Amino acid sequence: MKILVIISQTQDTEAKIKVSAAGNSIDTEGMKWIMNPYDEFAVEEAIQTKEKHGGEVVVVSMGPARVVETIRQALAMGADSALHILDEGSPDMDSFAMGKIIAGEIRKLGGFDIVFTGMKIIDEESGQVGVQIAEELGIPHVSLVSKVIEINPTANKAVCQKEIDGGHMVVEVPLPCLITCPDAMNDPRYASLPGIMKAKKKPLTEVKVSDINLDGLTRVKTVEIKVPQIERRLRIIKGQDGPMVKGAEVEKAAEELIKLLREEAKVI
Amino acid sequence: MSNEVWVVADLKIDGSVRQVTFEALSEARKKIAGKLGGELCGVLIGSGVSGHAAELGKYGAGKVYVVDNELLKNFNTEGYTIALSELIKKYSPAVVIAGNTVFGQDYFPAVAARVGAGVTMDAIEIDLTDDKKLRIKRFSHSSKAIPTQVFLDHHPMMTTVRPNSFKAAEDPKTPEVVDGAVTINPGDIKSKVIEIKTKGSDRPELTEAERVVSGGRGLGSEENFKYIYQLADMLGAAAGATRAAVDAGYCPYDMQVGQTGKAVSPSLYIAIAISGSVQHFAGMGSSKVIVAINKDPEAPIFQKCDYGIVGDLFDVLPPFTEKVRALVSQS
Ligand SMILES: Cc1cc2nc3c(=O)[nH]c(=O)nc-3n(C[C@H](O)[C@H](O)[C@H](O)COP(=O)(O)OP(=O)(O)OC[C@H]3O[C@@H](n4cnc5c(N)ncnc54)[C@H](O)[C@@H]3O)c2cc1C
Ligand SMILES: Cc1cc2nc3c(=O)[nH]c(=O)nc-3n(C[C@H](O)[C@H](O)[C@H](O)COP(=O)(O)OP(=O)(O)OC[C@H]3O[C@@H](n4cnc5c(N)ncnc54)[C@H](O)[C@@H]3O)c2cc1C
Repeated sequence: MKILVIISQTQDTEAKIKVSAAGNSIDTEGMKWIMNPYDEFAVEEAIQTKEKHGGEVVVVSMGPARVVETIRQALAMGADSALHILDEGSPDMDSFAMGKIIAGEIRKLGGFDIVFTGMKIIDEESGQVGVQIAEELGIPHVSLVSKVIEINPTANKAVCQKEIDGGHMVVEVPLPCLITCPDAMNDPRYASLPGIMKAKKKPLTEVKVSDINLDGLTRVKTVEIKVPQIERRLRIIKGQDGPMVKGAEVEKAAEELIKLLREEAKVI
Repeated sequence: MSNEVWVVADLKIDGSVRQVTFEALSEARKKIAGKLGGELCGVLIGSGVSGHAAELGKYGAGKVYVVDNELLKNFNTEGYTIALSELIKKYSPAVVIAGNTVFGQDYFPAVAARVGAGVTMDAIEIDLTDDKKLRIKRFSHSSKAIPTQVFLDHHPMMTTVRPNSFKAAEDPKTPEVVDGAVTINPGDIKSKVIEIKTKGSDRPELTEAERVVSGGRGLGSEENFKYIYQLADMLGAAAGATRAAVDAGYCPYDMQVGQTGKAVSPSLYIAIAISGSVQHFAGMGSSKVIVAINKDPEAPIFQKCDYGIVGDLFDVLPPFTEKVRALVSQS
């Protein structure tokens, strides 16, 4: 099988967020970059699919030169080759443009059987690029798959479970298709040392976005970013001898909390 | 091109209309339709759904487009994508809105790609700029930032909106019902739903609830989650959980609150034995009042809550729940 996995690089989850001087982007000076956490699950699912059915895993990622590090991580986990769509921060490119460009490059790669991608990127968090790419490629998708039940290349189908309100649904979809991955659907492996060594020699092709016509592709512009400031009251009830409330303190603590919720916060 | 503002109804598995639909209609009427000078319209996609037109009218829809087709009986991606794309191509509305539900997230970006429209997801505010472009606010960066996004010169402008972000306000109309008459062939439906399993619950839905009581890994077992359910029921609250609790099998997946799970914004959020990870906060950090009960005074949640008790949940919850019960029976 030819298996594609579309991944992106993002800022560390714990990163402190600061708005840039221009006011409409995030200041990334000195930030730690990681593989988008949801994409780790996509890479793992792609590699497991290869292990079961044979074939190759091709990584596709778009972004500036630094994303090569993330691509190498996916190769070290076990992917076979990669396509880097190099973009040195094209101003104002939105998700729509991004989906079009990535889909365009995937189309050039030719025949594939299945595509995995994360459910969303943890920076912009719109969760639309994967579905858009499927639509651009003219293939069906299943989003937010909690479990891949079966991929059957012979019967040319995949069967996936997806969680919905109050339960789940099982969807059967013909190949080729695209699957978007939330966390917890598998247990992403770490890159082993030999894996990291091998990754350095795996083929990585680069194409430049500057060679792609971007005119009129963008639909939406971010004009401002604010960091929400929610002041919390931080009224923490503790024990007298030690942090935890114990014995008779428990009743009193429960009483006090009820009073605060009723009289101060007025929420019960 | 028309100036119409469309709200696509979100239907539950049981066929009823989700609250977010009424919220979106109300907010679109207030912030968009008037300024744009366009009619507020509802869109119903499904099988045997035209009966809901009156409900959409109650919240201000002057017109309701209906695509009624046997093949749309249960939500399926292609069916919905075809139905809405074809309607958009035929009637060319200015703005199209849907709820950011599991289904909305699935087909809305596909429709946008198909009709060549821009789309934003999970808006918490919507309005129009002076030159009549859709402007939205949403959460990004694990809910640590709120970008404002404005649409450029493309038609239509599409967005999903977060449930429980707007107030549903009635504005009764008797809507004109328009048969969308979109043809869908069985062969068009590629991804087939082969099983749906749902279990009804008497508790309010997480994304619609005014109060939420959630439990984390510290609950220790499925059995112990009864403490969460008891308190939730006492408060008329929805019950939620962390991923750690879901992963451990203490409760079902649809209770997960957070970056992957549901985004909630109730007036009261009670977090029991929850450490307060970035990912959990991404889904509940905008709650009006946050209460934490945790035995670890160093738990990060104590740095970002309103009220807290440092204590063992098995000591604290029984008397707390008892006092809530007393309070409820009084009033
Ligand atoms: C500070 C900063 C600078 C950035 N600079 C650049 C830049 O110079 N050039 C650039 O191309 N991008 C850049 N990005 C990435 C870009 O912001 C996001 O990838 C893009 O906005 C998509 O956001 P989204 O919310 O629509 O993604 P979502 O729809 O939430 O993403 C869904 C999935 O789509 C896939 N996906 C998303 N983006 C990409 C991608 N870039 N490549 C491959 N797969 C992807 C991922 O698998 C992801 O899980 C930058 C991001 C940040 C935070
Ligand atoms: C990509 C990604 C997405 C994620 N998405 C989500 C998401 O949507 N939602 C989510 O919740 N998590 C999510 N997570 C996981 C997240 O990082 C945390 O692991 C998780 O939220 C922790 O859950 P917890 O607080 O229940 O567990 P822990 O962090 O283990 O905390 C348990 C707490 O219980 C307390 N405790 C234990 N026993 C008692 C007792 N008897 N009485 C009182 N207190 C007690 C402990 O002091 C501790 O603070 C995601 C992670 C990743 C990587």
